[in-house]
Amino acid sequence: MPEQPHSPAESILIDEETVGLEPDSSAIQIGAIEGGPEVARERRRKGLGFGAWIAIIWLTLIVGSAVLAPVLPIPDPVADSAPAADYKSGPSVDHPFGVDTTGLDVFSRVIWGARNSLFIGTVSVVLGFLVGGACGIIGGYFKGRIGGLVGVPMDIALAFPPLVLALAVVTFLGRSVSNVTIALAIVSAPILYRIARASTLSWSEREFVLACRAQGGKHFRIMTREILPNVLPAMFSIALLGIAVVIVAEGGLAIIGAGVKPDVVTWGNIIVSGQGELRDASHIALFPSFVIFFTVLALNYLGDVVRAKFDVRESAL
Amino acid sequence: MRLFAVKILRLIVVVLVVTFLSFLLIKLLPGDLVDKIIPFGTDAQKEVLRNDLGLNDNFFVQYWHWLSGFVVGDFGNYYLPNATPVSDSLGTALPISLELMLYAQILSLAFAIPFGIATAYKAGTRFDAISNTVAFGLLALPNFVLAILLAIYVGAKWQILPTQSNIAPFPLNPLDNWRYMLMPTIALGVGQIAIYMRLLRSDMIATLQEDFITTAKSKGIPTRRVLLSHALRPSSLTLLTVAGLNVGALIGGALVVERIFGLPGLGSKLTEAIFRQQYVAVQTYVAIIAVFYVVLNFLVDILYSVLDPRIRHARATA
Repeated sequence: MPEQPHSPAESILIDEETVGLEPDSSAIQIGAIEGGPEVARERRRKGLGFGAWIAIIWLTLIVGSAVLAPVLPIPDPVADSAPAADYKSGPSVDHPFGVDTTGLDVFSRVIWGARNSLFIGTVSVVLGFLVGGACGIIGGYFKGRIGGLVGVPMDIALAFPPLVLALAVVTFLGRSVSNVTIALAIVSAPILYRIARASTLSWSEREFVLACRAQGGKHFRIMTREILPNVLPAMFSIALLGIAVVIVAEGGLAIIGAGVKPDVVTWGNIIVSGQGELRDASHIALFPSFVIFFTVLALNYLGDVVRAKFDVRESAL
Repeated sequence: MRLFAVKILRLIVVVLVVTFLSFLLIKLLPGDLVDKIIPFGTDAQKEVLRNDLGLNDNFFVQYWHWLSGFVVGDFGNYYLPNATPVSDSLGTALPISLELMLYAQILSLAFAIPFGIATAYKAGTRFDAISNTVAFGLLALPNFVLAILLAIYVGAKWQILPTQSNIAPFPLNPLDNWRYMLMPTIALGVGQIAIYMRLLRSDMIATLQEDFITTAKSKGIPTRRVLLSHALRPSSLTLLTVAGLNVGALIGGALVVERIFGLPGLGSKLTEAIFRQQYVAVQTYVAIIAVFYVVLNFLVDILYSVLDPRIRHARATA
């Protein structure tokens, strides 16, 4: 939401914009996440800042270990690695995150889970980015009938509560990694569509767009060369938040029982495997939960940094 | 009034589309529906069920059949282990989910409003900075992570509150009911506090710069009254709308949180239905939730334009 205003003039501007806010839950949900720490303003002056570097290091660690999982010296995530006596034992030197109910190393499972969870998170948001972004730019550029037509499927998707839509798609299509990815892409596309459309609407009124059109620029050229580069920063910052949202959604789906099949290691499924053991072996659910929390925190923070760097006007979203 | 009629018309269209899609879902299912619902039934039983569900009819006839049943509360059946109407489970589960969402909403607003006002009034101070940082952290805390933390520590380790619930309906035993509801409510509500607080804060900061606030202050009205009776009302419009629309996120959250605490609400029923492959029931639950959400969106939209005359004007001139 709008940053703290400095002058009365600015505050009036913000007031008008919040009044004009379309009642749209998804944009608002995302919008609310944007309100990061107040350091955002300082960051524009002094490079990335300490917090951003921590976030980047954490994400690099997670992504790196996920990519390198097959070559890392960690136990197999789906074959027993601990003697039966150690089942459900807590963190130790051999098993930093403890052992689960079937003798699997939780640390190794969290790393292998990152592979699937991050895959689902990024691929579905990239899909949503492409579909939602394209539809949003087309919808914002051609305001009339074409714009309306492009918006119809997006509005329909927004008519369902996000998690319920994903749950329904996965339940009836089948619980594979690709189906979960598709379901979450369907959920994230309309959010990115809204952002792209709103952003395009304001950019396409600008003089340089008019100038390009006056010089005989084709619609396609105007959209890709003039509007797209300006819309990208806003979409990119929302996409980072989107990956976080999707990672959480994967966990939620798994807990409801509409996620990826239990034999595939994802963060959500590891939590589910520890759900019945909260009393005796709480570490099984606890460690993947913490990893999800820090990953979401890092992604939110970076999304915030991108927004501040490119001076994305939230009000335009 | 014309605007209202258009909105009603749109509501009807959206409800039709949403129910149609919910109906369509079951057609996505690979393989034979009846084989999944009663895998151990005899061929004769399967044929009866097939006729019962109208699977041999034309597609649109099926939809009409299903929709007319849906409207009058005939939501189909569970077929395993016994044939029981879905409406029975819905009757016990729905109140629990609605109760949870209501409590979560009340809890989050009860914290967000005072903190929103205070941080706006103290904008730029250390208190404001700390509150914002905490809020930013809470936003990144998924409800199921908080639920698991609560279940482990408050529920299992310290045993302050019960986790596995045989929850009493509220009218029978309110206190017992609340004991079971407290942790799920916290798990679901805390994330929303941050959303609402930040929203109210930024609106409030804008309002506090208005001339009428300066006037009120210069008349010597105590700060407390200026904040609560002059500034809060015009600042709370967006908050109210978002609180209404946020129910979409609350629904999803409630399903997840219920599962973790074993509350027998819609989330638990959905999980059970998915697990037992009772797709007719899953379809019903999805349709009910979607219709509820659509109608709620409609009400919020109406409320929004009723509350704020500027919206009506802005839309009329646009």
